[in-house]
Amino acid sequence: MDRRTFVKIGCIGSASLLVEGLDPMMRADAVPPALPAIELHGLPGYRPSPLGIPGLFPGRVVEVRDPNAIVRNRISQPIVRRLLNQTMAELTGQKSPKDAWAMFIDPKDVVGIKINPSGAPACCSSPEVVREIISSLQAVGVPRQNIFVYDRYAYEIDVGSYQALLPVGVRIVGIQDAFSNVGTGYEPTVYCDAAFFGEWETRSFMASIVANDVTKIINVPTMKDHSASGVTGALKNLAYGTFNNVGRTHRAPHSFTNPLVGLMCTVEPLRSKAVLHIMDGMRQVWHGGPLTQVQDFIEQPGLLLVSTDPVAMDTVELEAIEQTRREHGAPSVWQHDPASITSDNNLFFHDASRNLFFRQPGHIAAAGKLGLGVSDLKLIDRRIL
Amino acid sequence: MILTETNSHDGPRDWPALLAGNARAGRQNPRQLRWPEKAIWQFRAGSAVRSAPVLDAGLLYVTAVNGVLHAIDTASGTETWKFEAGGQIHSTPSLYGNMVLFGCDNGSVYALDCNSRKKLWEAKSSAEVWSSPVIRNGTVFFGSADGKIYAVDAETGSPKWSQEPGGRIYSTIFAGIHQLYVGSGDGKVYSLDAASGKILWGTQTGNGIDSSPAVADNVVLIGSEDFFVYALDADSGEVRWKHETGLGISSSPAITEDFAAIGSKDGFLYAFELQTGKLRWKTLVGEVVTAPPVIADEAVCIQSSGTVALNQSNGKVLWQAALAGAIQSVPVLAGDSIYLASLSGEIYALR
Repeated sequence: MDRRTFVKIGCIGSASLLVEGLDPMMRADAVPPALPAIELHGLPGYRPSPLGIPGLFPGRVVEVRDPNAIVRNRISQPIVRRLLNQTMAELTGQKSPKDAWAMFIDPKDVVGIKINPSGAPACCSSPEVVREIISSLQAVGVPRQNIFVYDRYAYEIDVGSYQALLPVGVRIVGIQDAFSNVGTGYEPTVYCDAAFFGEWETRSFMASIVANDVTKIINVPTMKDHSASGVTGALKNLAYGTFNNVGRTHRAPHSFTNPLVGLMCTVEPLRSKAVLHIMDGMRQVWHGGPLTQVQDFIEQPGLLLVSTDPVAMDTVELEAIEQTRREHGAPSVWQHDPASITSDNNLFFHDASRNLFFRQPGHIAAAGKLGLGVSDLKLIDRRIL
Repeated sequence: MILTETNSHDGPRDWPALLAGNARAGRQNPRQLRWPEKAIWQFRAGSAVRSAPVLDAGLLYVTAVNGVLHAIDTASGTETWKFEAGGQIHSTPSLYGNMVLFGCDNGSVYALDCNSRKKLWEAKSSAEVWSSPVIRNGTVFFGSADGKIYAVDAETGSPKWSQEPGGRIYSTIFAGIHQLYVGSGDGKVYSLDAASGKILWGTQTGNGIDSSPAVADNVVLIGSEDFFVYALDADSGEVRWKHETGLGISSSPAITEDFAAIGSKDGFLYAFELQTGKLRWKTLVGEVVTAPPVIADEAVCIQSSGTVALNQSNGKVLWQAALAGAIQSVPVLAGDSIYLASLSGEIYALR
């Protein structure tokens, strides 16, 4: 049976058309465009899994920090191993790492590890964390050739050198070569359809590797501020790293990451396959994300978070980034001051009070309302080891 | 003592392999690098280009990610012929005799006849080949992501030996007459006997390696993702010196007898005295640098977000062009022309 969801949030208003072509500083004062209707088309006939978002432990986030996990920007493989084993044990209540992982992964699974290489090399999913995940999957019995490490852009994976740094046999996939006309790697029957700013291509298609190839996804987001969505964490790494043609949802200074990020995460089979989220907080970008290379805005807290609930995880992340911004005297990511908006990328990258868009951290709570997890910090079962 | 040889087909304007030739000096002959005044032509490959071009007899060979090798007439900028391989291509081609060779993501190394424009042979590995094939003494050496190093006959492609040192091989082999040198994803720099493939030594670094080594005056120079540049004794693998940069190193060194240059992901290009490791200078040339530099008579040239030429003696910027952003591409310096391939798939001839 074709799972087809029609989400009618609004319709394109004239404001969205009027703001096109104006100077960004003038647009900053413009009324936000109305939300358009958004159609979601899941994979026909797909049966949702009980392991799907928000997973086996809704609202539970396990967090561990070790300052020695990252020293002078180098990550310790043995410490990452220990931290991952500790957090997985706490999340699942299992004593052995193998038993913990076996709650999510079967030896017959084909597992996709969704990395976040955007922002490499300054801040991306660390190869050290990815290596430990691969080792854990192998311990459960998944052969290396059934493990895919993937993201949208091959050139970002190149810059992160994942292809050289991960074990032999593991397959590394760039879903889309941004400059290529061939091998787009997307599933034509699974898509989100909406016209945000009058763009001619209104569909965003799901990556074929997600729709058709892998049976489980381990999501490895980073801790980053995001100029459009407020933060980029588990939800955005899944949504905007799985669907194509998503840049069209931002037009300065406005962004439709709220609610699109959450909506995309509800689309099957993405929702069912994303069974575990491991946030790499070895580094934390508190301004300039997701692409900054400016070390002034990158901390090295040596954090690792695990959860099956991406909403709860991102809620914790948002609070952490807000805390760091407060410590540095930077405005909240919730701030929507038109005077803060700039179209000068260089200014944005070097001034924490400036931004390219009105950030949309509300996408996390919106995802919570869609049933993807717990967004109230008071209700989150946050376990700090 | 390491001996190198030059491809006997090298002509005065040719650039037959990664960083110009097997010596990997990253230069042709000592020549003045002139400030290019204009673009002579632009060719669109129709796909991203992640590799470096090579040049022979007026034809520029460029491999594109969409699996096409283009042979471009350097006089007109038009395509003379092309070949479609069985997968994506990230490998820089090498020229040997009348052959052009390159690796492919389908696990093969292809050898094409430049005259007939047909495939001569195809040597198989079991994972993608991003490294550039290196030809020495009638043998083609290449590394594969399957973790193996292969030696095949240059005329037939038939296997001679293979060796599995450990880790993925994205580093392009440096082939001396008797010894091979290569970096590996397991973090080691290996030396192998060129005739048998026997591992002679392996020196551990602190993280994986995708940089390609260069050897001069018995020093093996290579970068590691552990942020360090290493200079190793070519006979023993002993570390002679190392220098810490700000981030991991995917770039590969270009060297002369007493000078070495290499980029780092911290955005800087570093220049050293080869024997002592003394830092001559470092200059910020981009946000992230992953491509190798090349050396002209008085200049060092590198592609990152654009193309930059620096004074070899002091590292000051001589000129820069906001074109030809690259991950692994390298300018080809030939005669009065500079050929550039960009990640976005444009090929430029500047003069």
